[in-house]
Amino acid sequence: MMQTFLNTGLITAQATHAAEPVPLAVTVMFSLLLLGLIAALALEEQLHAKKSVIAGCFAFVSLFAADALDLLPIGSVTNVFGEVVELPVYIPAIDWNVIAIILGASLFVDVTSRSGLFTWIAIRLTKISAGDPRRLLFYYGVLTVLFSAVLNNVTAMIIVGSLTGVSLNKLGRRDKLLGFLLVEGLLTNIGGLLTLISSVPNIIVGTAADISFIRFFLVTSPFVVIATTITLMMGARLFAIHSLVDEEERQEAARLVADFDENDGIESPFFFWFGAIMMVLFILTIATTSVLPYISELGMGYVAMAFGLIVLIRYKAVADEFYKALDWDLLGFFMALFIVIDVMEHAHVLDLIGRGIVPIIELGATMGTGLMLVVSAVASSVTDNIPLAAMLAKILSGLGTSSDSSLWWAVIFGANLGGNITPIGSASTLVAVTIIHRYKLPLSFAGFVKKALPYAAIQIFLAVVYVLLFLG
Amino acid sequence: MTNVDQFESVFKSATKISFAYQDIEIRKVLLVTDLEEQPAQQLSDQVRSFLTVLAADDSVNWRTVQGDEFQTVKELLDLVEKENPDLICAYRHLHSQAWRWPYSLGEELDVLTQITSSPVLILPHPKAQPLDEILKGTGSVMAITNHLTGDHRLVNFAVRFTEERGTLSLTHIEDEKVFKSYIEVISKIPSITTETAEEEILKQLLKEPHDYIRSCSDTLREEGLALKVQEIVSLGHHISDLTRLVEEHQVDLLVLHAKDEDQAAMHGLAYSLAVELRRIPLLML
Repeated sequence: MMQTFLNTGLITAQATHAAEPVPLAVTVMFSLLLLGLIAALALEEQLHAKKSVIAGCFAFVSLFAADALDLLPIGSVTNVFGEVVELPVYIPAIDWNVIAIILGASLFVDVTSRSGLFTWIAIRLTKISAGDPRRLLFYYGVLTVLFSAVLNNVTAMIIVGSLTGVSLNKLGRRDKLLGFLLVEGLLTNIGGLLTLISSVPNIIVGTAADISFIRFFLVTSPFVVIATTITLMMGARLFAIHSLVDEEERQEAARLVADFDENDGIESPFFFWFGAIMMVLFILTIATTSVLPYISELGMGYVAMAFGLIVLIRYKAVADEFYKALDWDLLGFFMALFIVIDVMEHAHVLDLIGRGIVPIIELGATMGTGLMLVVSAVASSVTDNIPLAAMLAKILSGLGTSSDSSLWWAVIFGANLGGNITPIGSASTLVAVTIIHRYKLPLSFAGFVKKALPYAAIQIFLAVVYVLLFLG
Repeated sequence: MTNVDQFESVFKSATKISFAYQDIEIRKVLLVTDLEEQPAQQLSDQVRSFLTVLAADDSVNWRTVQGDEFQTVKELLDLVEKENPDLICAYRHLHSQAWRWPYSLGEELDVLTQITSSPVLILPHPKAQPLDEILKGTGSVMAITNHLTGDHRLVNFAVRFTEERGTLSLTHIEDEKVFKSYIEVISKIPSITTETAEEEILKQLLKEPHDYIRSCSDTLREEGLALKVQEIVSLGHHISDLTRLVEEHQVDLLVLHAKDEDQAAMHGLAYSLAVELRRIPLLML
């Protein structure tokens, strides 16, 4: 009976990577596994399980099932030196360039943050604002976007969010904390659009589409400027964050922020300047990786790892402390996710989803791209945007989408901005909510959606218009 | 640094409490004695020559209470309430011979230091030692507390009583016994590295008063006050270390709190010191 069921329909491989036909029932079974993974990731908090464990379990089951059904290309592989080597099937399934970028950049940011550079910038900006709430919102907002762009969304939210809590408490403006943190959370996902390495979906989709760092920046930066300005203006209006009008209040606020000592966190002036110079060099090198001789062949992963190692020399005796501080959950999650996606590819699940996407694409350059962006945004609002980006990148690659197609941008914009619809849509909005709850401010899931939806709707609308007008 | 707590700690640490200078106004001084007219007047002259920082100001009104003006604590309190002075000067064991035994301040001062809102300058007992040898001006003033950071009032009073070009020692002694007891508890918690905790907690405990004293020094300089600010911040045993420091720095006047919100000071550091340090004047706030 099982054999009969399995033989009820065979799907023929559409993409070049899968030559062997797979029974539809098998594809459906693996589709359910993928849906299970997405659902489990959406319910991460309720399950009290880390992402890496969830994805690891699904990777383990998927691999076993795929091997049992003879879907995997088990056997030796030929490496770049032309040597035939035996590798476990799940090793080449992982995109090691993405892992290297995340690992190296995390290490680099973690070590550089010890120099006091980021806290110095944040405190200097606080002092320049003279404690005026509206000015502070705009400064912190811009800082969030820039930190999200050069560091990553989560680190940006952690730095700016924690400073916001401390400074608003100091200024006696705790009533504005919710508005500040929410706007900053929303801006992390806008800042995450600024560069190729600002967010993981960018890295995954950008790498798959072969988009260079410079091109990515030139395409997204005008949108980021517009969306940031609109979000900040809306935030100031909807959360009633106004400038101080009373001279006495202004003087008191200026006195309070003057108590901040931006040099407090600087352990050594040498390392501070070293950190600053390395940060500039890191951005420049990442930006020019594709044109640098030799470096272009080694890729951005190599650059990130090299910079991580260079700054680590400062703490060579206690390097293990930084290894411990790395987000192994995130790295484990990515590795497991890549394995699951690879299995899904062999089980033709991606082909199946691709067939669902084809009608969207066939709607044309305008409707198709616009709908793809909205669908990506909605999908990434209810689950992690990383598997979504990984899956769509694989599908678009499989469909032979050209590098200059606006569909890639639709996925990038959608996957990033979708994180602003719900608190679970992106890791950085989750951090914002965590800080909000840390300060005992009430904000439920529905409460977040109610407050964030007007911003997200406008941002997504703007993105659709932008992609269609300028990238179509 | 990877989490909210770590960055929050960095920002909290960067939030310094700056010293807020305020000129302390003293218009009326009440000298309480249990002496007759002539010795009371003599003591009044000695106190005025000791407090040149006040005597130089002609607007200060000095009033000397003689022994026959009060007999009981109640009468003294009524007198203080009626006079409403900005500063009370007195010595231990008024109307008593108990000054010979160093076990208390005497019932009047025990009550007075707790009830009145005016600062009380406790002088050594005139019969215990010649005051001429002790009351030689306030060129060296020491303010002490176990929590100096943010204690603007204590510092402002100490500044007010320090002579021009004098030395103001701002002292913060972190109680070693209390610190060790917490480290002992931490050493029993597996998730906290004891060595790191001990090192980091002590560093932060001493850093805060250090930063505050630096702010005091900067502010006083900006205000144009010609004082030398000396920083004394360390871990130690309150009574023994403070007694040693007072001797080492040849302190002319010690400024400390007599009361706090929990009324703990009088039963803790301040009272013990007041009883122990009988040879120098104490300004109890």
